Amino acid sequence: MSASADMILTPPERDALAGEYVLGLLEGADLVAFARRLDSDRALAASVERWRAHLHPIDAVVRPIAPPPGLWPRIEADLGMTVQTAARPALAPPSAGSRLADWWNSLFVWRGAAFAGALASLLLAVGLFAALDRAQRQPVYVAVLLTEAGIATAVVNTYPDRRVEMVPLQNIAVPPGMALEIWTLWDRAVGPRSVGLIDRARSTNLRLDQLPLGRDQLFEITIEPATGSPTGRPTGPIVAKGTTSQAL
Amino acid sequence: MASDAASSVKAQGPSGKAKEIESALRACASGDKLALKRIYDVESARMLGVAQRLLKRRALAEEAVQDAFVLIWRHAARFDPERGSGLTWIYAILRNRSLSILRDEKRTETSEDPVAEDLASEEDDPETVMSKLSDAKALRACLETLPPQRRGIVLLAFVQGLTHGEIAGKLSMPIGTVKSWIRRSLMSLKECLG
Repeated sequence: MSASADMILTPPERDALAGEYVLGLLEGADLVAFARRLDSDRALAASVERWRAHLHPIDAVVRPIAPPPGLWPRIEADLGMTVQTAARPALAPPSAGSRLADWWNSLFVWRGAAFAGALASLLLAVGLFAALDRAQRQPVYVAVLLTEAGIATAVVNTYPDRRVEMVPLQNIAVPPGMALEIWTLWDRAVGPRSVGLIDRARSTNLRLDQLPLGRDQLFEITIEPATGSPTGRPTGPIVAKGTTSQAL
Repeated sequence: MASDAASSVKAQGPSGKAKEIESALRACASGDKLALKRIYDVESARMLGVAQRLLKRRALAEEAVQDAFVLIWRHAARFDPERGSGLTWIYAILRNRSLSILRDEKRTETSEDPVAEDLASEEDDPETVMSKLSDAKALRACLETLPPQRRGIVLLAFVQGLTHGEIAGKLSMPIGTVKSWIRRSLMSLKECLG
């Protein structure tokens, strides 16, 4: 049975559908529709919760497996939970009286030095940016994302500064309340990671900050709920996909 | 109806552990990282066991637990104790994550590299699960009202994350029959469990 948001369910149908969801039997479009409905339908949400509570003993009696010592640090790393370093103690002021100390404490000297330094940096930066800009505009890898019918729908360009942009080549029909989510897959063992969510087809920068980037890396666009996939993995239909190749 | 539902969930009474998890989730929502570690210390071994039952491979199971804790932290503010218990909420996150990984694996897997059914241990067997449910008397009694094969199908779906199609293949039954058996089993379970 599908679970479109406007469908009226009898209580037994609602409970059976909620049970199928909790058992993990809803997939694809049915799962997306169910997840959307769950947000607004309190009776359905209550039914889901009842199933979860009823079936939880099956999980509670599982044979526990001690996690390896490295697992918690991996979670901390994912959350950017680095231990705060203690504030550095204030520098003791140099002993007053000596000429060196006068010079050391002179605001005028330091302002001058700072100004000269800033000016030099500025001049260097202007030259550097001009040189870098030429290099950065050339993409390193390019992926052309194709529909199942082989129509080029979008291009993903990656640049030497690790900036990654997606440029659509076609309009993409997005159902109301849904969005386009962009994923990348570089290793099947890790699985796809979300790198962008857009409300309609438009150029966008993709977030690959901590993720690897290389040749033959898969990029794909799927249709997901407006707030992104409820599971963190692609759940909706694939609009287009393609792998990266090195630009000449 | 909905209020009956809510009260029946509450009637089971939040155990000490469930209360502990709920207060830790509130602390997570306000940015207390030690609270997440408290949940990890109490539940991670069972969570890894559940993920392992679904995913069969240790590396994938660990990934599911890792991702689940990241999601618990990020979504802690959305947890609403009025709508359900904190314990079932964190297991729902773990299960959703595990099932997504499982479906992705199956979608991309090659024939030389099977996940799944062949690797299932005796631990995952429906009747083994039944024998361990001694403390969950209501659930056990209600599952026992189902014919053994139908009970087995419901447990295979929940414990091993099998889809309608995979259950049909495993038992050499038409997929339509599997779907209607599950549906009817759920309706009788619902009637029995309330």
